[in-house]
Amino acid sequence: MLRAQLRVVLLALRWPAAAAAGLLAVTTVMVVAEWARGRGGIDFNPELSIIPGVVGLLLPIGVWRGEDRFGDGLLWTLPVDRRAHALARVAAGWAWLLLALAVFQAWLLALVLLTGGNVLGDQVVQVLASGTTLAPMGAVEPSQLRTVRLPAEPALWLVPFTAATGAYAIGSAYALGVRHPVRWLVGPLLALLLVSAVGAAAGSRALALAPSGVLETLMYGTYGFDTLLTARSESLHTVARLPSGAVAPVWLALPDLGHWVAATLLWTGGGLAALWLAASRHGERRRA
Amino acid sequence: MEGAMHADLGDGACAVATHGLTKRYGDATALADVALRVPTGAVYLLVGANGAGKSTAFRALLNLERPDAGRAEVLGLDVSARGPEARAQVGYVPDRHDAGPRALTCGELLRYAAAYRPTWDAAYADRLARALALDPAKRVGALSKGNARRLQLLLALAHRPPVLLLDEPTDGLDPLVRRAVLALLAEHLADGPTTVLIATHHVAEVESLADHVGVLRGGRLVAQLDRDALHRTVRRYRVRLADGREAQRTMRGEARDVAAVLAAEGAEVREAAPLRLEDGALALLQEEVPA
Amino acid sequence: MLVTLDPRDERPLYLQIVEQVRRALVVGSLRAEDPLPSVRELAAELVVNPRTVLQAYRALEEEGVVYVRRGQGTFVAPAVGGDDAGRRALARGVAERALLDARRNGLGAAELVAMIRELAAGEDDDGGRDAR
Repeated sequence: MLRAQLRVVLLALRWPAAAAAGLLAVTTVMVVAEWARGRGGIDFNPELSIIPGVVGLLLPIGVWRGEDRFGDGLLWTLPVDRRAHALARVAAGWAWLLLALAVFQAWLLALVLLTGGNVLGDQVVQVLASGTTLAPMGAVEPSQLRTVRLPAEPALWLVPFTAATGAYAIGSAYALGVRHPVRWLVGPLLALLLVSAVGAAAGSRALALAPSGVLETLMYGTYGFDTLLTARSESLHTVARLPSGAVAPVWLALPDLGHWVAATLLWTGGGLAALWLAASRHGERRRA
Repeated sequence: MEGAMHADLGDGACAVATHGLTKRYGDATALADVALRVPTGAVYLLVGANGAGKSTAFRALLNLERPDAGRAEVLGLDVSARGPEARAQVGYVPDRHDAGPRALTCGELLRYAAAYRPTWDAAYADRLARALALDPAKRVGALSKGNARRLQLLLALAHRPPVLLLDEPTDGLDPLVRRAVLALLAEHLADGPTTVLIATHHVAEVESLADHVGVLRGGRLVAQLDRDALHRTVRRYRVRLADGREAQRTMRGEARDVAAVLAAEGAEVREAAPLRLEDGALALLQEEVPA
Repeated sequence: MLVTLDPRDERPLYLQIVEQVRRALVVGSLRAEDPLPSVRELAAELVVNPRTVLQAYRALEEEGVVYVRRGQGTFVAPAVGGDDAGRRALARGVAERALLDARRNGLGAAELVAMIRELAAGEDDDGGRDAR
């Protein structure tokens, strides 16, 4: 069953995979050309794992495309236990995702090594002093910044894999568990917008801002989605404008490995639990 | 009264049977206490208007639907307890035309399905593909409705299952191909013992193939009988009414009983003409057939 | 051999096949030792359940009209042909149907026979085309 699913998922994803390979080739040419012209090499950067994360989140669309998920399509009428079958399809997609990621990471490593970038070395970064915030437009006083040495963190090489896995589990649960994906996406967003609008109309600032607060926490909170996808390096890493007019990369705070581990366990665990429930919707109809 | 109208087909030799099968969707009743009896080796035609419950019955037989009451059996296997085993015995053509993952070619999809079917007959699948003029290199997502249906037929037949569940098997096909498909089906039946349950709106084209008929109306199985019983018990009567006028009545029942019923109304039977299977089934489908 | 089924005929399909084989023998389109189409072929041609064809062939076999050669198929029995008994049986079938139809239309047997004679006489005048 798993073998058949590995085959069918590979066949179903061959064109997107070919497109992705093409994209990588183009990127390689561009990066190498830049480097040859004397620009600096590229560093390994956990922010890049947002790509695997997004790929993982969207991959289920390709994995389930053309399947009559809530009907009586071929997948459900084959002579195997249906929940196990659904999970086998998900697992097959995951296996190919990890393989593709391994290739992606190897490509990235090769590129970093080729261009002499920073692979796993220490980094010296500028961090916003605690207790201060970035002014609008990212303006910052030099006194607010402190220079610290960010120690090498080999564990960050795992981030793409965990990010993709967690996102894929969530995406798969969504694809498998929800009959009308668009409605379930647009509905809650509209609901949040509505709450916000009602709050604004009622003059309640708290209510008006609550939805964006919820989204903010969900996406960029300490254990938010971004922590799963990029170990928070995406949301914490920004650029600031010094009074001199120079633009410098600045960290709002240093990423915390513990937060990343916790967020990964939280989101992946939740995703897997949701996936189990979603697959159970398609299980054998045993008599109660 | 209901029981008297059902030919007693017994329970022992049924390849497909349901017992008190009931399914509701909210307030709507899709199936109400349905007791299908499809004898082994029969070609059983299930007729009913759209929404009469035919597809729901098929879905229940594949354990895709949890009944609110009753149970379904395929070759004696209770499908809710042994769904996968029951599905292993079944070739299914679904109502809808999505044959499978759209990115695959037909050939790839067939090989994929074959991996799940130990009884898959690759040589027969090739022959069917040729007979149905199905291009194995064509992408599933690019198939027309008719070609998707051909592919689904191939998927259902090529593993030579003992039971075929065909929901509108000729839907989307043009008339010449419909005939060819049914001839293929007849040939298929000659190759091995197979029980067929067909639901279709095109009763005429399967009326020589079918030897049993079940009629679903509003989720109820209002009639279930073999072909000969249908010919014998559903007829069009030309009657002379008490006032001397002549009228046509389609009536259900043994000729003697019908004559007695009509006599009680003061009408006299002038002629009793048999109906072709299609007309008989359609007559049973309409409410006004008096019993 | 040409077999066609009449969907309006209330007789079981297998009997219709039996009758058509008999008729083919009587009119000579099937002769002794001729092969019958295989069950598979005839089922596909008529789009009937092969069981129906099988049932017909069995009935014919029981009557001694056909016999089965193992692995080769079904053949017309050697002694069978367009004999008088067969012609009589065929004529009887035609007459029975005509009579039934006449009664349905409120005609008596005598009226029917008279009309048949009259029509037949008319045909003779037209060209004397009388079978054998």
